[in-house]
Amino acid sequence: MFKHLFILIWNKKKQNFLLLTEVLISFIVLFAVFTLLVFYYRNYKTPRGFDYQQVWVATYTNNFNIHDSDSLHQFYESLRNAIQAMPQVVSVAFVSSNTPYSNNMQMNGLQYQKRQLRSVNSYIVENSYLPTLQLQLLEGQWFSPADAAARKTPLVIDQTLREELFGNGPAIGQLVGDDNQQQIIGVVQDPKFNNDYSLTGKAMFSAPDTGSIRSLSRALVRVAPGADAALEGRLYKLMANTMKNANIQIEHLDEKRNSANNFALLPMIILAVVCGFLIINVALGLFGVLWYNINKRRGEIGLRRAVGATGSSIAWQLVAESLLLATLALLVGVFFAIQFPLLHVFDLAATTYLWGLLFAIVFIYVLVLVCSLYPGKQAAAIYPAVALHED
Amino acid sequence: MLLNYFKIAIAVLRRRKFFTFISLFGISFTLTIMLVLTAFITSLVGNKYPDKKRDRLLYIRNMELTGPQSMNSSNVSFYMLDHYVRSMATPVQIAIATPYKGTNTYLNNRKIEVNYKYTNADYWQVLDYDFLEGKPYTAQQVAAGERVTVISEYMKKAYFGNTPLVTGQYIEADNVKYRISGVVKSIPITNYLLYSDIYLPYTVSKTDYTGKGYLGNYTGILLANSKAAVPKIQQEYEAIIARLPLPSKEYDHLYSHALPYMQAYVATGDEKRSGMNRVLLAISIFTLLVMLLPTLNLVNINVTRILERSSEIGVRKAFGASSSTLVQQFIIENLLLTLLGGVIGVVLSAIILYSFNHAHLVANLHLVLNFTVLGIGLLICLVFGLLSGVYPAWRMSRMHVVTALKA
Amino acid sequence: MISLTNIEKVYRTDTIETLALNSISLDIAKGEFLSIMGPSGCGKSTLLNIMGLLDTPTRGQVQIADQPTQHLNDKQLAHFRNKKIGFIFQSYHLINDLKVLDNVELPLLYRHSAAKERRLLATAALEKVGLSNRIRHFPTQLSGGQKQRVAIARAIVGQPEIILADEPTGNLDSAMGHEIMDILLTLNKTEGTTIIMVTHDEIMARKTHRLVRLFDGTQVQ
Repeated sequence: MFKHLFILIWNKKKQNFLLLTEVLISFIVLFAVFTLLVFYYRNYKTPRGFDYQQVWVATYTNNFNIHDSDSLHQFYESLRNAIQAMPQVVSVAFVSSNTPYSNNMQMNGLQYQKRQLRSVNSYIVENSYLPTLQLQLLEGQWFSPADAAARKTPLVIDQTLREELFGNGPAIGQLVGDDNQQQIIGVVQDPKFNNDYSLTGKAMFSAPDTGSIRSLSRALVRVAPGADAALEGRLYKLMANTMKNANIQIEHLDEKRNSANNFALLPMIILAVVCGFLIINVALGLFGVLWYNINKRRGEIGLRRAVGATGSSIAWQLVAESLLLATLALLVGVFFAIQFPLLHVFDLAATTYLWGLLFAIVFIYVLVLVCSLYPGKQAAAIYPAVALHED
Repeated sequence: MLLNYFKIAIAVLRRRKFFTFISLFGISFTLTIMLVLTAFITSLVGNKYPDKKRDRLLYIRNMELTGPQSMNSSNVSFYMLDHYVRSMATPVQIAIATPYKGTNTYLNNRKIEVNYKYTNADYWQVLDYDFLEGKPYTAQQVAAGERVTVISEYMKKAYFGNTPLVTGQYIEADNVKYRISGVVKSIPITNYLLYSDIYLPYTVSKTDYTGKGYLGNYTGILLANSKAAVPKIQQEYEAIIARLPLPSKEYDHLYSHALPYMQAYVATGDEKRSGMNRVLLAISIFTLLVMLLPTLNLVNINVTRILERSSEIGVRKAFGASSSTLVQQFIIENLLLTLLGGVIGVVLSAIILYSFNHAHLVANLHLVLNFTVLGIGLLICLVFGLLSGVYPAWRMSRMHVVTALKA
Repeated sequence: MISLTNIEKVYRTDTIETLALNSISLDIAKGEFLSIMGPSGCGKSTLLNIMGLLDTPTRGQVQIADQPTQHLNDKQLAHFRNKKIGFIFQSYHLINDLKVLDNVELPLLYRHSAAKERRLLATAALEKVGLSNRIRHFPTQLSGGQKQRVAIARAIVGQPEIILADEPTGNLDSAMGHEIMDILLTLNKTEGTTIIMVTHDEIMARKTHRLVRLFDGTQVQ
């Protein structure tokens, strides 16, 4: 029977060619969209790794006329104490410009033994960063005042960087960096700093030293629930009066997260809507073509009934023919699609592609099945005498 | 004859409701997407306010320094614009401004977000903002470092509510009080090169702007004498850039360009990845995708229907229709269908744009279906109609009369 | 009116050649009513198609109204058919998407006649076949006999000199068949139209002036 169907399709290859192309292109579109959806969904399911609620971020231009780093340390210390002393302020940390949802990036290389890792996010943060953002410490410890006495510069890394560097081996105490000047003291859970739908990747945190203290340009402030614009206004005045030359802006992380998420979702939603309409379009077309093919083949169907095919076997034959046709298109499509994980075209996990592939295949089959069921049923209802007479 | 084609086409469309529906669905939906996309693009880059002299303007946004180990790309410094660009012979005037940045102000325990931009006085000559009241700040005021400002209509409403006139009043932003010199019509944030809520003289900027490095946080807008002078300015600027000494041994190349609005709008600040090419590529892939499937679908349906209509084709040929007449008839039928779909598509897009404008997703961005957009829509319809009609019509015309009548 | 000389028609596929017509020569006078008979597959429809310029012979010459036809191109052929020939088919071949009147107007459409004139002529033709009360119907709303009468109206509306009828009564019962036959006979008598009819029906064939019999592509009578 299978061979018989295949022969039918092959003999009509010219007519089926357009249909095949259409299914093939639909499959490729679906594969792309499903892969993206799976990618987004998996990222969304990954824990956030920090808490954005009740955190404000104050941006200031750090062009104060303080030239030696000791004075700068003292300046930050006294400002920090003043902010900390405000009611409803839970904690405060001065950090480099790459705060969560800010779109700012600072990438550095990192040397480990003979390996040079590229594109590691580098965050300059004060000790109070951990409680302010509530990062999850998985191994070792966070920075402490005692670090000042350490011979090597302490470094905290995230889970992704830890796996990249050390795999399953021990991480704490390892020396990294040029001339092994840095020492890993802790590992935190990966924080999703860009938005909820993408991963930040490799990250390392270090405390400000005499050089990097100049790159501090944001204050993260965790406030108690109920903190309002009055507190924000006072915080603003305090900072503006302390930093005479600075332009200052205060934003809320939860609002920044919303807009970052919207920004990430918008293209996805547009893509999904467009894809949805394309698929409805294709489905209607497919339905129409199959329906007419069956009308055109009334004679053949009548003959099949006359030589003893039952109504349901006719319906089954037509549905199977359509599915076989879809399979042919899918074989070509899968061949192309499978190249993506094989050649690592984009930086996505192979399983993400495979899920996308699976969903696309299932979707195409369901689509073709739905589109051919009704015409198949119609064909089953054809009376052999009538059909043959017409011919 | 044409009228008859129409009559037949309409009769066929009315009798084959299912196919008409499928075709119209595909066409109108495709057109809607294309129209909304073009409406977005034209409102992003087609709206010539406040840069009414757009074809005479050139933007200097970035400078890129590259070396074997390092790459540094940023806006240019005030010094660079004031010293090197101001000495150029070809431009008439030079506007200098920072990109917009955000700050807050707190009014009666209410927070207002304020975007600010520092400019020179020529900024107001080079660009043609519509002043609803007051006037721009002058070169003297800028030179004296007066705390004056031009605010947008949007900011006026946010800060003063329904006060009729605010010129001469004070607005507090960034912990400083500025006297309002004028109010201008708002522009949407999508025009990010020129957008701001308040405009301030660069001399009151809190950041030191006198540094002599090339990189900084300013951008320049160069006004040419005439449209023809634009390439001369570009040449002169390229020549200046070519002569600039490299700032340090780290770098071996220095790039910066004076770009027309469109290119400046999409510039990535990365010499190797042109923004224009990427935008064009993205749009073409999207267009191809959106057009390809419905076209293929329509071709498919049309081919199927030709087989269904073979008796009709045979009869027409027998009674005196030549192949070319039939091809004409079929293409006109298809064009009529696409145009009908086009009308539905225009209505749909109008509804979508209307709801977009009323949802206020982007402040001050008003999308309209203008004649350019409609023209593009009509063009898309024609291309669509021809693409999906020509192949089936060709198949049809080749059909032999005897076979057509037998089927 | 029609003169066929040594007509031969060969159908070629990849593997076999079939001789459908073998050196047929036939002269049909103006105003003649000729019927062609023969078993299925004897080539009578092919012969009719060749006379109607729907198909071209492999060898031999077709002259219609004293005009040789082998050098005409697609456009000229279409024009020639439109002016000189009307067709009637066994399965009517009406365009289901068009109303009866529009179906009948079809040949005039390709003659670029004015709309008013078309309407007038088409109504007159429908009157001749006795269907003037059905002009706003769609073909699917008519019986077989009515459909064939519409087809005859369509064939005569352009006042062609020749009508080619391929088993016009083949799908009809005998009462309707006789009705259709009467219409054709009247047409032949009153207007002097030359009619060539392919048929299976001996009774119908006997009503015509002359009978030609084909067997396996060769003329036997």
